Amino acid sequence: MNKIKAIVASVAVSAMLTAVLPTPALAAVVSTEQMMSQGASTQDRAAVDTFLARADVRDQLQAWGVAPSVVEQRVASLSDQELQELSLKIQEQPAGGDVIAVIGIVFLVLLILELVGVTNVFTSI
Amino acid sequence: MALALLAGCAAGPETLRLRQETVSVELSNTPFFAQERYQCGPAALATVLVSSGVSVTPEALVSEVYIPEREGSLQSEMIAAARRHGRVPFRLDGHVESVLAELYAGRPVLVFQNLGLNRLPVWHYAVTVGHDADRGEFVMRSGTEPRHIESDKDWLARWDRAGRWTVVVVRPDELPVSASAESWLAAVAPFESLGQLDIARTAYDTASQRWPGNALVWAALGNVHYALGEQSEAAKAYARSIDIDPSASLVRNNYAQTLAELGCTERAQQELATAAVGANPSQLTLLHSTRADIAALSTSARCPFRP
Repeated sequence: MNKIKAIVASVAVSAMLTAVLPTPALAAVVSTEQMMSQGASTQDRAAVDTFLARADVRDQLQAWGVAPSVVEQRVASLSDQELQELSLKIQEQPAGGDVIAVIGIVFLVLLILELVGVTNVFTSI
Repeated sequence: MALALLAGCAAGPETLRLRQETVSVELSNTPFFAQERYQCGPAALATVLVSSGVSVTPEALVSEVYIPEREGSLQSEMIAAARRHGRVPFRLDGHVESVLAELYAGRPVLVFQNLGLNRLPVWHYAVTVGHDADRGEFVMRSGTEPRHIESDKDWLARWDRAGRWTVVVVRPDELPVSASAESWLAAVAPFESLGQLDIARTAYDTASQRWPGNALVWAALGNVHYALGEQSEAAKAYARSIDIDPSASLVRNNYAQTLAELGCTERAQQELATAAVGANPSQLTLLHSTRADIAALSTSARCPFRP
């Protein structure tokens, strides 16, 4: 049963790859990015990883309210390395915004620290 | 405990080094865009892009870097957006001297700050535009303040708590002050992979003039010429790379493929044979597949190089 699943999965992945990946990804010439990451060894695997990472990141951005009309373009400009990093830990990645969102106890703690001069949240937004 | 408190009040080695600086700088011409709610990312990015000659507004960048539910912008998306606007986003190393060097060179510096604490982070993007050596202060475009002042000590602490993430955006024909061949290539290589080939070519070309003795720079230049369909130029660049570093199997692999497409099949096979010496198992797999590709290649091109 597992074997069948594995076969189905591998067929599905190859189908996705043929359908979506540009062919140069598997060409004989090794890109500079691959040369620098020494990852040329497993080009096919890297292409699958990137493909899956891109889908992860796209789904997450969309779930966070990024418009479907722009999400594709945004994900398309991330490098392989950036995609891998994001797909592994997009939840923990800090997002720079400002402090209006700071609420409750966090607000109180920061306000006290602000008053004693440790932080500078409320003057530099 | 008492020691820790004392240490907290004393100036660290970097603050002391900053105090020894005698040169002040302020890039007064840097534009200012007051941020909308939560949107310091688009505002800060627009500030550095416009300074670098790009015509863009924070409003236009909102759809490129802002994430509604996170009420902020991710660092990698800031980097990617700079690329989309044709500028090389270059991450500075974590030395405060590198930040000053860019300011002295006339480049505003995008910094990531944690205005809160490690346990209660408040993430913020701002642009550092100056340093006043006499007063020991940094000058910034930040949030709704066109000329925000931070003491050296505060600036360092907030920068440090945010992982010292610092970016300058530059045209592909100029180099950041602290760039090395490797760090520049790492910043440029995504342009090649993402198909912004003209920018990659200019940036690699800039590198080849600055670091003509670096093998990887010439290999990169070869790669982008190949991607642009300029095989003769690619072959020349690869040859130069191999002259400098004869042991690079991957460069020889690319050289072989290019030679074959130029009609130099025999020389291509020789290169592959040389590349196989000292190649690791995974590189050998690649070399085998290139050999098969070359054998299957039918070209009417006549080899322009002597045998």
